[in-house]
Formats: sequence, structure tokens, C-alpha cells
Amino acid sequence: MTTEYLPTIGIECHVQLSTKTKLFSEVDNDARQKEPNSCVSPVDYGLPGMLPRLNHTAILYTIRAGLALNAKINLNSRFDRKHYYYPDLPKGYQITQMYSPIIGAGSVELPDGTIIPIEHAHLEEDAGKLSHYRDYSLVDLNRAGTPLIEIVSEPAIHSAAAARDYAKELWRLMTYAGVTYGDLYNGNMRFDVNISLAPKGSKELGTRAEVKNLNSFRSVERVIEYEIKRQTRILQQGGQVVQETRGWNDATGETTDQRSKESAADYRYMPEPDLPPLRLTPELVEAERRQLSPLPAWYRERLTPVIGSDLTEILLDHQPLVAKLAELDDPQAIKLVANLFSSVLLAEENASLLNDELPSKTQLADLVTMRNQNELSSTAAKEVFLKYFDPEMHYKDTRTIAKELGVIQENDTAALEALVDQVLAQPTTAQAQADYHNGQTKVLGFLVGQVMKASHGQANPTAVQEILRQKLA
Amino acid sequence: MEVNQATIQHLAQLSNFALTADQSQRLESDIRAILDYISQLDQLDTDGIEPTYQVFEMENVWRPDVITPQDATPDELLDLTVATQDHQIKVPKVL
Repeated sequence: MTTEYLPTIGIECHVQLSTKTKLFSEVDNDARQKEPNSCVSPVDYGLPGMLPRLNHTAILYTIRAGLALNAKINLNSRFDRKHYYYPDLPKGYQITQMYSPIIGAGSVELPDGTIIPIEHAHLEEDAGKLSHYRDYSLVDLNRAGTPLIEIVSEPAIHSAAAARDYAKELWRLMTYAGVTYGDLYNGNMRFDVNISLAPKGSKELGTRAEVKNLNSFRSVERVIEYEIKRQTRILQQGGQVVQETRGWNDATGETTDQRSKESAADYRYMPEPDLPPLRLTPELVEAERRQLSPLPAWYRERLTPVIGSDLTEILLDHQPLVAKLAELDDPQAIKLVANLFSSVLLAEENASLLNDELPSKTQLADLVTMRNQNELSSTAAKEVFLKYFDPEMHYKDTRTIAKELGVIQENDTAALEALVDQVLAQPTTAQAQADYHNGQTKVLGFLVGQVMKASHGQANPTAVQEILRQKLA
Repeated sequence: MEVNQATIQHLAQLSNFALTADQSQRLESDIRAILDYISQLDQLDTDGIEPTYQVFEMENVWRPDVITPQDATPDELLDLTVATQDHQIKVPKVL
């Protein structure tokens, strides 16, 4: 009989905060597209006698992140030194919060309602970036000293899919809270996963393997799928999983044993003598709470009943879009605009449009009205919608855009009837009318087409069809 | 705490120091003496006493999040290193 195993997964997520300056020095914290070692200070180089100077905004962002994690904010916190020797860390220690972190226990709710408890999250400095070559390595200290929060989950995740959802939800929470650029490609969020297997029903956890430095939701999921298979195979063959740090190769889709010098290191933690402790006030925390933008759960509650869960989750990946939807109050309007957003997102050639300035509330409200009154067909509504992103058109109101595109449908019955009469009086339609009377109802399409042509495409084809039917009856 | 040659070698490894046998021996006796001296504190009863993390009694020392010119330029800082390549610090292979 084969034993069934339950995977247990814990995730540590490093989030780079988007403050203007670094955590302990007043240099530019945004090193994207900048020359290596150009955003550096004597503090980042760990020169003797340099004192860290704490960035107040980093504290505020950490509080905000903690509130987004539904966490207790510890009013008393302080910093510690974690020692290890590596060229990406010139001081020889990292300033972190080992014993008294700002962010205490919290929780993250996944889209399916699963609650993942957060153990704590602490504020620390990032290390520099190393690039490895055949017989040397290069160090870039632009990233050294960037404020990071490390969010530590409880080992309470039990599948690869839930781990992916959790990682993605963290990304949403942190970007909605506005504390990070959330640019995964540039390493703004990095995930370390640890995973163990234990026989189902067992009270004890198995031996865990850790995989560090994953920078996409997909790789988090793939690593766990791979490790579940690898560890299951070992256990089923009566072997034992070795506690170790493994490296992930995105190209081969495998993890491999990674001997890292510091894994066995004794970090010799000690209180950081250069930084006095923090004593925050409840008022400060409340002020941050008031400033916190709505989070995914808030939008989910409003949008899911109207547009369904699938569409809501797609749009939740784009905070400006759900924020725009939340400006509309009418469920019908939300439905129409949500579908327009998603159709643009799904058409890859247009998807980048949505990074630009979004249409105004008035433009969208007018679009909804015109669509409801059948002045715009669904195709025409989409055409108008795309023009909101045209630099020549985006400032114009909806009716003007629709007029310029010539897509407003004629719904005035009297006008349409006159048009139909005019077409039916043309000798070219006589044969079709005769055929229709002989039971060939298919020719109705031809006649509708003639009326549409006469209207220069502006008649509402459904209305035209209805009028034709009546006239020919 | 017991200090022996293995302790010294472990600490040296963590700090990436290459010690001669002689240095290692001397460090062993020095560190043992320091620890013996400090361990006199163990005689005190510290139950229920809040640990002291700092002696200045300051708190909330922070600065505004504003980019400010530094005392040394990036190039001056890079010049302090032993070897460079492509505006990066060149170090012996570490992985």
C-alpha cells in the first residue's frame, strides 16, 4: 500500500519598499536603469565610523504593509545585527529585526477564502547584487541598503496552487498598499519556500527542503510541484529527505542540491547599538490606517456579485482598473466597463493601453448610457472605448468621439421608417420583396443591408429588421 | 562556554579569516580570558530585570526620506576598492 503524503509549505517573501532613499542612507533607492554602484553612500560601503540613519518613510510603509496583512503593529520594536561574511554585504552584518519586529501576527485571505496566517514581518536592509563569472564575481551595491520587509508565513499552505495564490495575493496587497513598485522582473518581490511532506494524518512535520530567491508566482508553483514529486519518491522508496537549501533552475524545471557556505553559519545576532529602539504611537498607526487605499478584499466584495469571480480575479491584477470600476455605481455600468477592460486586456496588442491614463468617470458613464439606449452597438462601444486611449481623442467626450467615428445608431423610429420606405421604393429591391412574399424570408438580410447602406451604417440593424418585417407583412 | 581550537576555527571561518597556528592559539587564550572576565556577571541575579539594549535612552531617531548629496561620490567610493571592472567591485569567485 502506498502512503499518501500531505505537503506543508511555508513562504518567506522579501518586498523591496519604494521609498525615495535607502533604509539607512540618503541616496536614491530606485536603481532601475542606472549604472552599477552609482546609487551608493559611505554607509552602503560599510566604511568605518559610518552611522546608519533611519528613513522615516520606511517605517510608515512598514506600518502600512502590516495593516494590509491584517497584522498587529508592535508599537515597540528595534533592530539587530545578523552577521555573515559575503561580498554583497560590506559591513559583514545585515541590520534586521530578529527579536522585536514592527509587524506581528497577521493573515492573508486567498481568493477562495482560505486564510494563511502570517507569523510576523520584519524590516531589514537588502544586500548588494552579485554576478558570477568563470573565476571572479562582480559586486553592485546599488541595491545594498534598500528597505525590505520580509513576510514570514506560518507553515500552513498545503498545495502548489495555494502557494501560487498566496504569493500573488501578497503581491496584490503590497502593491495596493502602495509600498512597493511590485516589479517582479526587477526582483522587487522574491520568495523563499520551504516544503516538507508527512504521511496524511501525521501530527509531526517531515524534514523540509528550502528553495530560495524565486521571483515569479509561476516558479513558486513549479518548485513546489517538483519538490512534492521528488520528496514523495524518496519517502516511498524508504529514504529520508535531507534538510538543505536547494537551487531552482527555471530552464530545466528542477531543483538541485546547493551547498551554500552560510547555510550552516552561526549568525551571531546582537542588538544594533547604532539605532535606538522605535516607540510608535497608536495615533500614528491609526493615521496610516486611514490613508490605506482599498485592498483586494474590498473590491472583491463589491465586484464579485456583479461580474463574477473569474472576471474579478483577472481585473484584480490591475489595481487602477478595479479602482476605476469602483467609481461606477450602477451594476450594469460596472458589467459593461469590466467586459471592455477584459477584452482589451485579452487582446495582447492592446493590453498595454491600460497602463496609460484611464477614461474619466464621465466618459464611461456616457458610454454606458449610449449603449443602454442602443445608440451604440456593442462593437461600436468597444471602438469608442479604444479611442479613449488615443492621444488625439482621450480628452473628448463620449458623444463627440462616437460622432467622429460615425458609429451612433439611428433609433428614431420615424426616421428609420422613412429610410425603409425609401429603400422599398427602389426598383432594385422589388425582386427581393417579391421573394419575401413567396416565403423566402432569408432575403430580409439583404433588405436590412440595403437600409443600413442608405443610412451610411448608422441605423440600428435590429430596429430596421423589425420595421421591415412590419412593412412587408 | 568552552573555548577550544575548534571554536576558534569555526569563528575564523565565519569571518573568512586565515589564521596561522600561532594566531589561533593566542586567540584561544585571549577569547577564553575575555569570556571568563565577562562571566563574572553570571553571579548577579537578573531575574525580572529588563535587558538593556542601549544606554543612551534615545528612541525614534529617524530622518526624512529625501535624497541628499553624500560626503563621498560614487567614483571616490569605488576607488577605495582593490579591483574593479565595468564600474563594479571585482572579488574572488564566491559561488
